[in-house]
Amino acid sequence: MDSNKELLLSKAELILKEAEKQGASQSQATINLTNLNLTRLANSIIDQNVAEHHVKVKALLYFGKKKGSVNFEIFEDTDIKNAVSQAASLARISRENEDFKSLPNPKKYPSLNLGSLVCEATYNTTPELRAEYAKLAIDTAHDVDSRVAAVAGYVQNTTSERVVMNSLGVAGYEMRTSSDIELTILARDGAEETAGWSGDARRDVRDLKVEEIARVAAEKSAEGFGMKDLPPGEFEVILEPAATAGLLFYTSMLGFGARRHQEFMSYLRDRIGEEVFSEKLTMYDNALDERLVGASLFDDEGVPHQKVELVDKGVVKNLVYDTLTAGKDGVESTGNHAQWWGPAEPIARHIIAEEGNSSIDDMISETKKGVLVTHFHYMNPVDPTQGVLTALTRDGTWYIEEGEVKYPLRTLRFTDAIPRFFKDIDMIGKHSKFLTRPPYGMIPGMKLPSFRFSGSKKE
Amino acid sequence: MFTLHSEKPLKDMTESALEVCRNLGASYADIRIVTIKDEDISVKLGNVSVLELRETIGFGIRCLVDGGFGFAGSYDISADKVRRIAELSVRIAKASASTRKKPVELVDVKAVKDSYTTPYKKNPFKVPIEEKVNYLVEVDKRLGEYNPDLIKFTNVDYRSHSEDKVFSSSEGAYITQKIVFCGGGFSCMAISPGSPPQRRSYPGSFRGDFSTSGYEFFESRKLLEHVEEVAEEAVTLTTAKQCPTEKATVLLDGHQLMLQIHESCGHPTELDRVLGTEAAFAGTSFMTVDKLNSLRYGSDHVTLVADSTNPGGLGTFGYDDEGVKAKRVELVKNGLFVGYQSSRETAALIGLSESSGGMRADNPQKLPLIRMVNINLEPTDWKRNEIIEDTKNGILMSTNKSWSIDDKRENFQFGTEIAWEIIDGEIGQILKNPTYTGITPEFWGSMDASSKDDWRVWGTPNCGKGQPPQVMYVGHGCGTARFHNVRVGIMGGK
Repeated sequence: MDSNKELLLSKAELILKEAEKQGASQSQATINLTNLNLTRLANSIIDQNVAEHHVKVKALLYFGKKKGSVNFEIFEDTDIKNAVSQAASLARISRENEDFKSLPNPKKYPSLNLGSLVCEATYNTTPELRAEYAKLAIDTAHDVDSRVAAVAGYVQNTTSERVVMNSLGVAGYEMRTSSDIELTILARDGAEETAGWSGDARRDVRDLKVEEIARVAAEKSAEGFGMKDLPPGEFEVILEPAATAGLLFYTSMLGFGARRHQEFMSYLRDRIGEEVFSEKLTMYDNALDERLVGASLFDDEGVPHQKVELVDKGVVKNLVYDTLTAGKDGVESTGNHAQWWGPAEPIARHIIAEEGNSSIDDMISETKKGVLVTHFHYMNPVDPTQGVLTALTRDGTWYIEEGEVKYPLRTLRFTDAIPRFFKDIDMIGKHSKFLTRPPYGMIPGMKLPSFRFSGSKKE
Repeated sequence: MFTLHSEKPLKDMTESALEVCRNLGASYADIRIVTIKDEDISVKLGNVSVLELRETIGFGIRCLVDGGFGFAGSYDISADKVRRIAELSVRIAKASASTRKKPVELVDVKAVKDSYTTPYKKNPFKVPIEEKVNYLVEVDKRLGEYNPDLIKFTNVDYRSHSEDKVFSSSEGAYITQKIVFCGGGFSCMAISPGSPPQRRSYPGSFRGDFSTSGYEFFESRKLLEHVEEVAEEAVTLTTAKQCPTEKATVLLDGHQLMLQIHESCGHPTELDRVLGTEAAFAGTSFMTVDKLNSLRYGSDHVTLVADSTNPGGLGTFGYDDEGVKAKRVELVKNGLFVGYQSSRETAALIGLSESSGGMRADNPQKLPLIRMVNINLEPTDWKRNEIIEDTKNGILMSTNKSWSIDDKRENFQFGTEIAWEIIDGEIGQILKNPTYTGITPEFWGSMDASSKDDWRVWGTPNCGKGQPPQVMYVGHGCGTARFHNVRVGIMGGK
């Protein structure tokens, strides 16, 4: 297994040296080297099959409070020097950003077992192995039920190395591997088409539960025939772990990021310390938890990750910060800077919700009139300032009455507010035996007493 | 800014890559070598929050071996790496082939040697950055000054993009292209005690409006001239009446209608979705092949086309990433579903004679996928004011705020930043938190008017698709359109 640690560190050092030559008061170098390999299934064949080799380099320079940056996917020294020079030119013509205090100072990285983040077998995964997994998934699913018509999804393995260095002495390097599989299995009987979904992620590709998730997804699709419509209304809801994860990710992203608070976009603005959620909900962000496939030492500006309590027994405890937003609020960064979709911002990307003792069957038996949801599709905020979300059920939804699964349901849309539907939680399940990639960490299934479905296939 | 570090001229490099693929058994291969430049500027609450250049150089090789496709790409454009990536693409293709029931077939395309550049007057990268920063700072300042007691958040964005591509195929195509676009916009948020924040944006939300044009396009948006009107709307929204919950006649103007077209016509007519390629992620489509030429998608007034030739459209180019020349394809004609957006492979699968020319990748190291070009609603013989004057009771909604649609693209729900009552043919008071929901064919079936005088191609650079994910820039031509019997006012609980 080849590590490029020395090479990446030397390139980052070159960026900092060039920045100093340009007269920058502070500078930061970030390099991400990624080998991504993804085999995509559709119609029970490998339909797309790719390998992508990326290097993403960023030179960020400050002249006092004036900032300029250049992002590039080029690795030659002459180009790096050009990039730093460009970043310096940008910084010189920029305006002072009064919110900027300083880039982060170095802090000791926590004692995470770095070796545990890397698996040689995952690093060495071949197209042929992914094809074997694909065939295993396809064969397993078709064996479950003759009505299984199409296996779709992907098998992926990724190796990434990253370096973050700054002129104040921050110097972080880590190498990580991960592999994951998701399957959506379609079944057909006459004109009716059903779907089932499952997924798993591991740092060691040999641990992927390929057969098991193929079976789970295929069984869901086979059990989905005879779908009926449910008119919009308020129902109890049983959320499988993937469904809970979707809701908790938006709960976290819209509510707990400091940037969203500072820009008046958070539904939790001015509510820290308030018991907004059910006392059964305790949730935190912890990239240092080695159980997580996405475990990591530091954030995208080299600040060590830490465990951040978000909700303790229903009470909103803390926001997640990066250095810029922390400076504005006069606190320390929590190590959550993320170069995410759009502008960088602090986000909790390793969410763990405390588990309970209930099984999904327990939840079903306690339900009078409710809906069991596998997961949600196309979730988006309707009004982030009020925490209102909308999304649709997908790949396995059932109507529950008097403690029994009655029949599968066609697609339902919900439109509801986070502080309303998470105000009460009836039951919490165990963490899933299947793992996930970031931004989800470990999230159990839940039963909520009230959830507002606003639409269906008919309206 | 940067130089391409290849040891050989590009032509030699493409030929040697294709030769490696051929020698290893590829029946077809293509290579793209691409340089992408972006310039991003954001000003937020008086601070320049983003001032950044981005540059990507890389290549991607796609080959067909034993009837299966393989793809590999890298940032490292050295002769040795190009050879190794070509070999890897062949190995991946063989792995794909091991599961296929029948080999991939491609419809024919004329292999051309050509060159194309999207037209522009002022190269946006030649306009001094300082000039752009100063302009954005001024817009931001004027927004903040409009009503400092209520306007608490301001944001102004600008982006220039340039893409230089070489496409070469084993069939003999060699095409060079330069795609240039730019655009931007602003938004502000008004906050009144006891009232949820209200945002207004111009010319569109989510970073504005974009066009494959030069800097003259951004200038033509005249951001400064719209500051007061837009900021006043944000302030008014804080005390406005809530959008009612009812069934209503709804008028959608350009920036919202474009996303309606995008989600409920653009995506469901992508033939890869229809055939199951996206089943595990973005979903499939209700517009299945058996419904082609028989499904009533909309009313007689609804004609939708995929047109990659619209001047200035964000989905405009010379050739797609399979070397298929830009063209106009009808998707819905007078309400009847008549066509798909396709690739060479998917077109062959349903017996079409040619691809619609929709294959694009957002990065040299990414696999081209069927992506929307400019998906346009053709105007009917109305003017916007005539539609309003002809509406007895209705709600005019503007500027997208939220969106969601199911995996078959039937049940959708949208929210907009602002709406106005229409009573007896006149625009009345402002309504806050407007939302509407519907089922695609019923919704388009209720359309009885779309305007031509305010018709133009809107551009959004934010369309996500694929695994690994890609974000593509697409265009949507439309004016203002009217729909009847629409559920509005779906806000959920608080």
